[in-house]
Amino acid sequence: MNHPTETADSTVYGPPNAFDQNALKALGDEQLHSALQNLVVTFGERREAAISSVEDWEGLRDEARAIKDETLAHLDRYLKEFANNAERAGARIHWARDGHEVSRIIIRLLRERNAKRVVKSKSMATEEIHLNAALEAAAIETVETDLGEWIIQLAHETPSHIVVPAIHKSKKQIADLFVEKIGIEPTDDVAKLTSAARRVLRQRFAEADAGISGVNFGVAETGTILILENEGNIRLTTSLPKIHIAVMGIEKVIPRFADLDVFLKLLPRSGTGQQLTAYQSLITGTKKRPEDEGPEELHIVLMDNGRSRMLAHPVTRQSLACIRCGACLNACPVYQQIGGHAYGSVYPGPIGAVITPQLIGISKATQLPYASSLCGACREVCPVKIDIPALLLHLRSEIVEGPVGGLSEQRGPVKKKFAEHLAFRLYVFAWSRPMLYEWGARGGRLFQRLVVTQGRIGKVSGLIARIAPPFGAWTAWRDAPPIAPRTFREQWRESSRIK
Amino acid sequence: MTETEHSTEARQEILSSIREHLAASKRFDGQAVQPQTAQPRAKSNSAQGDRNETVIERFRQALEAVSGHCSIVRNIDEAARAVQQIVDQRNAQRIAISDSTLVHEILRRLKTEAVFLAAPNQSDLFDCDMGITTAQWAIAETGTLVLESERERHRLASLVPPVHVAIIEANRIRQRMAEVLELIKSSDAGLSRTVTFITGPSRTSDIELTLAIGVHGPGELHVIVIDEPAQPA
Repeated sequence: MNHPTETADSTVYGPPNAFDQNALKALGDEQLHSALQNLVVTFGERREAAISSVEDWEGLRDEARAIKDETLAHLDRYLKEFANNAERAGARIHWARDGHEVSRIIIRLLRERNAKRVVKSKSMATEEIHLNAALEAAAIETVETDLGEWIIQLAHETPSHIVVPAIHKSKKQIADLFVEKIGIEPTDDVAKLTSAARRVLRQRFAEADAGISGVNFGVAETGTILILENEGNIRLTTSLPKIHIAVMGIEKVIPRFADLDVFLKLLPRSGTGQQLTAYQSLITGTKKRPEDEGPEELHIVLMDNGRSRMLAHPVTRQSLACIRCGACLNACPVYQQIGGHAYGSVYPGPIGAVITPQLIGISKATQLPYASSLCGACREVCPVKIDIPALLLHLRSEIVEGPVGGLSEQRGPVKKKFAEHLAFRLYVFAWSRPMLYEWGARGGRLFQRLVVTQGRIGKVSGLIARIAPPFGAWTAWRDAPPIAPRTFREQWRESSRIK
Repeated sequence: MTETEHSTEARQEILSSIREHLAASKRFDGQAVQPQTAQPRAKSNSAQGDRNETVIERFRQALEAVSGHCSIVRNIDEAARAVQQIVDQRNAQRIAISDSTLVHEILRRLKTEAVFLAAPNQSDLFDCDMGITTAQWAIAETGTLVLESERERHRLASLVPPVHVAIIEANRIRQRMAEVLELIKSSDAGLSRTVTFITGPSRTSDIELTLAIGVHGPGELHVIVIDEPAQPA
């Protein structure tokens, strides 16, 4: 079936370095816009209502950030404590330097146990390393069981939001997909679509040899992993199959069991605007007696994959405080216009614009730190107070000036624009000298007569772009007001003379 | 290289990478705000039973706000009658039950043709139309049930069937999450291998953010609170 007005197809988008073209494509997608409008309004209202039930929201954010800062400052110690306690309770810990190593470990574990069918619950860490593709290549059948993720998997797409991965798709598109892939009768009833998914996935759960999940928090004090959800698919994934494999980024560790209270107040409210999600599973090792319920084996794969590098500077280190709530996506005026796929990476929105360049290498994502107006809405809503605008500026400066300290292998800037650099040097020189500044204003006033159209400079006439192409990058999308006939300094001088 | 050697090498490398990068950050750390050291949160002073109207009422309201059903009864006979009503209404034929004594005492009081399965295998479990468990704790401010695996075989009976009935004694309800976290950590049986927090029925908003109840877990959650009046001395 063709729906000329309904595109929202993630397959048309390029990688992070194609952000500019991706954004243009997304801007032309009508259906994406109405989906994003719905997201912004619904999640915005729900979040507001949910945080109003907390007495001291600001204090809670500060407390959460302090816990994260403390953990990150001693991350090695807390990771060792977590690993020791989890192993003492019967879990097996695996350490993986990068995504390939994670996939290799998981494929080995599955092959050794002759496990051919895997059920998976939503995990951004496994999306990040493209685990499903690796499992598929190893002939291991993998089924996503979160409704949104399953829709995405059936459509061969990628998530466009951290919390609601299929937000870009309409009910109609999902119904058509279900008609085609699982043979349901056409319907526009969300309850019917949901129960169709329940029926099909129940079968997958029944057949599964292993379950793979992510981790929201790992508690060092007890070796516990905590996973939040609403649907119940995570509970099934971690209860029914004989083996449970959990993939955990090394930044997910928190020191104390009592700290969970803080994060369980912040994460659901920021993510989905709930006081608490329907289910939390707190899993500490494996079952004690053979007749107990649950898997026989629990494997926790601790994954670095570029995270430890982010510790090398206090500004970049903040990235590791993120609890993946998605609030910054919903609040971002850029994300609100273009959605998740335009970022060309698993992590979209403001947090994606700072994490992606650090994870995949800044030269592969030079446009993302510029995908922001630095308005600060992300910082306002972030439950752990990550200063995303400061991070964006930090990364921008690394792009033009080279790495700031750290142990980065990269030396020197990613892209040095000598003309731009020179222009800014001249600008700084002139604008910090009153005499030159005034001459500049006078000269500008003479020159602008040539380029002012309808009282504006830039976009309207397109003249700048034609006569001085480098400046076209600035004026292609925006107008500048012309220099005033009399500057403030000139007016000030005149009024002083009159006195 | 064996897998163990691989893992040991990866572990060493990750831990030393963390240490090296933290050390490299030292000369910049002064410019930024110093990381604060988190203080453990103050423990709540309501360690007592919290057994009063407001806590139970708060629990009921919070549970109903997330589409759960709540009945408050005065004794085990009334609890059995409440369960009987749900079983009759749903015409339940196969009921998965936990190994809790309280659940068994209630079952003895039921009049029904339904089959009770104490530790059903997977395919039997998938055919059950109801599950009955207790809960060890509840959190009033969010309407949350807390189930500990060391206390009760709860995991599948509370999850797989489309209807979950949970019975809880009123003196197990606490006002806040922090109190319950402390209780489950310092439990006599030790921290359970699995602790499950349940707040309302299973739900999803994955299709156009439209709320749908009962996707993978139960679509109905009934909580029966037994609030026995204090015995006269």
